[in-house]
Amino acid sequence: MPLMVGVFDVPDDVVGAIRRLKGRGYEHVEVFCPAPFPEIDDELDHKPSKVRLFTLIGGLTGVFTGFLMTIWMANDWQLVVGGKPFTSIPTYVVIAFELTILFGALMTLLGLLVFGGLPHGRFGVPDPGYSARFSAEEFGVTVRCKERDVAEVDALLRANSAKEITLVEP
Amino acid sequence: MTPPPPAVSVADIIRPTVAPAESQANQDILAVMDRPTLPYWLLLGFLVAFVHAAGAVWVYQVYEGLGIAGYSHPIFWGVYIVTFVFWVGIAHAGTLISAILYLFRSKWRNAINRSAEAMTVFAVLTAAQFLGIHVGRMWKSYFILPYPNQRGLWVNFKSPLVWDTFAITTYATTSIVFFYIGLVPDLAIARDRSTGWRKLLYTALALGWHGTGRQWKAWNRTVLHLSGLATPLVLSVHSVVSWDFAMSIVPGWHATIFAPYFVAGAIFSGFAMVLTVMIPVRRIFGLEAYITNYHFENMARFILLTSCIVGYAYGVEYFIAWYSAVEPEQTSFWYRAFGPYWISTWIMIICNGVIPHIFWFPKARTHIPTIFVVSVLVNVGMWFERYVIIITGLSREFDPAVWGVYTPSPAELTILAGSFCFFGMFFVAFLKLFPVIAIAEVKELVIHERAHGHGGAH
Repeated sequence: MPLMVGVFDVPDDVVGAIRRLKGRGYEHVEVFCPAPFPEIDDELDHKPSKVRLFTLIGGLTGVFTGFLMTIWMANDWQLVVGGKPFTSIPTYVVIAFELTILFGALMTLLGLLVFGGLPHGRFGVPDPGYSARFSAEEFGVTVRCKERDVAEVDALLRANSAKEITLVEP
Repeated sequence: MTPPPPAVSVADIIRPTVAPAESQANQDILAVMDRPTLPYWLLLGFLVAFVHAAGAVWVYQVYEGLGIAGYSHPIFWGVYIVTFVFWVGIAHAGTLISAILYLFRSKWRNAINRSAEAMTVFAVLTAAQFLGIHVGRMWKSYFILPYPNQRGLWVNFKSPLVWDTFAITTYATTSIVFFYIGLVPDLAIARDRSTGWRKLLYTALALGWHGTGRQWKAWNRTVLHLSGLATPLVLSVHSVVSWDFAMSIVPGWHATIFAPYFVAGAIFSGFAMVLTVMIPVRRIFGLEAYITNYHFENMARFILLTSCIVGYAYGVEYFIAWYSAVEPEQTSFWYRAFGPYWISTWIMIICNGVIPHIFWFPKARTHIPTIFVVSVLVNVGMWFERYVIIITGLSREFDPAVWGVYTPSPAELTILAGSFCFFGMFFVAFLKLFPVIAIAEVKELVIHERAHGHGGAH
């Protein structure tokens, strides 16, 4: 299937182009952005990123690990201090807090890898349509479409101020 | 549009149409990583050599024992612990800038966050060395970790030293993760523009980043959540370090104000270190277009604010010592200001509590040499603050029979100097290996400005 690449200068135009393309039923639309523009990512996928789920799971695992580990260890090797109880919850809050952050951060990293699809592609092989200009200051919108739709995609991209359109895979 | 004729390679189709409109930000910031000059190699060589010299002193100390470190009864926490606390403090600016200012949407952070995060990582690594250097039998330092062993022993989780281990480990891990995630889009920029071994390195580290919608979406969310996690973390780490002292009953240490006092001091010294390092870096590499005087002025304001908090804490310490009517506490604070350590105490008060007030004047806040000098003095003052707290506390505890005076030994001072070289070595290497400014985030502002014709400074 042909792959069309439109080059844009302004993020708002990219958002407009994606909206029009999706509205016309093109499913295989992808962008290459040089910088974070949440409005573009949201136009491609309206659902909030599931990374937050990983953070939550990591944090909860951390807080439970922190308390269970300290309580169990304190009772497994008992330190007798003036007849006080072996389990001393206030001091374990520090450990539980640190582990909440630690596990939360590591799970967030894992979430980035899973939901961002990283590592991406084959080693050292750029995606079709990608070029170094998209890590400069230009935006790329790629559309995979049927042969007969090439003209329409071309018109849609142009209508949204694409400054350059290429057919990468005929 | 007519489709191009078949039987041409993909590259041929792309190449003629690509008029590489290279981004100014890419060129300027990647230029920092150009082939190193002779002065660069000399500096790096000196730092590496000094780290080795300090390492040799440390090996000798392991062989000979902590006696060469000037430790003697009753003072067994000396320059090593002072320097540990100092470097942990330095490590606070990076996460503060990256996480807290991110949550507050302070866009000015974009130009300095990368270098500050790098400093955080290197400062934590430097601080972590001192946990091993300080203990008498460093080959047993892993005893601090709760690991299953044949004696059925576990660590005592009521000990602040165990809390500290957890806090520092978490902080080091989280700041490395934060630093790396921020770096990934910029590594892709470097990957697209490099050759040879650099191309391989950046291709591997960039994880195939293309800046697709899916990647940025996950990335944005990840940075947001890490900021949310790192914000309480950065406040907790120095609180936990302060509890190493405050949980004891040593006069001068046993104070509830210690946690906020230490956190403010850490941010204070961290910002000062960022300024001390970035003012020369900006000058040498000509980054004035990205790191502007506005950034330095904002950081000077931060220094002023935290100096006020630190100065207030100094005052409260003395007030409470007097107000408590506890004699050892009063003696301890009198001894600080007028005992054998009076020079250290007055350096601390003047450098941290008095000199930064020059930043009330806009002229001083915008005059780069003044900012640089003040930032160096703050670093000096903050090192002495920890010295004063730790040494004077230990040298006069309750029982006059165990009073004593401590003087740092040459071995300790060499390792102290070595710690600066260790930190400097990593930072100097970082300058040539990774983009020193977060390019993608600077570009976000550049593109916004271009699209809307406004948007403030970057």
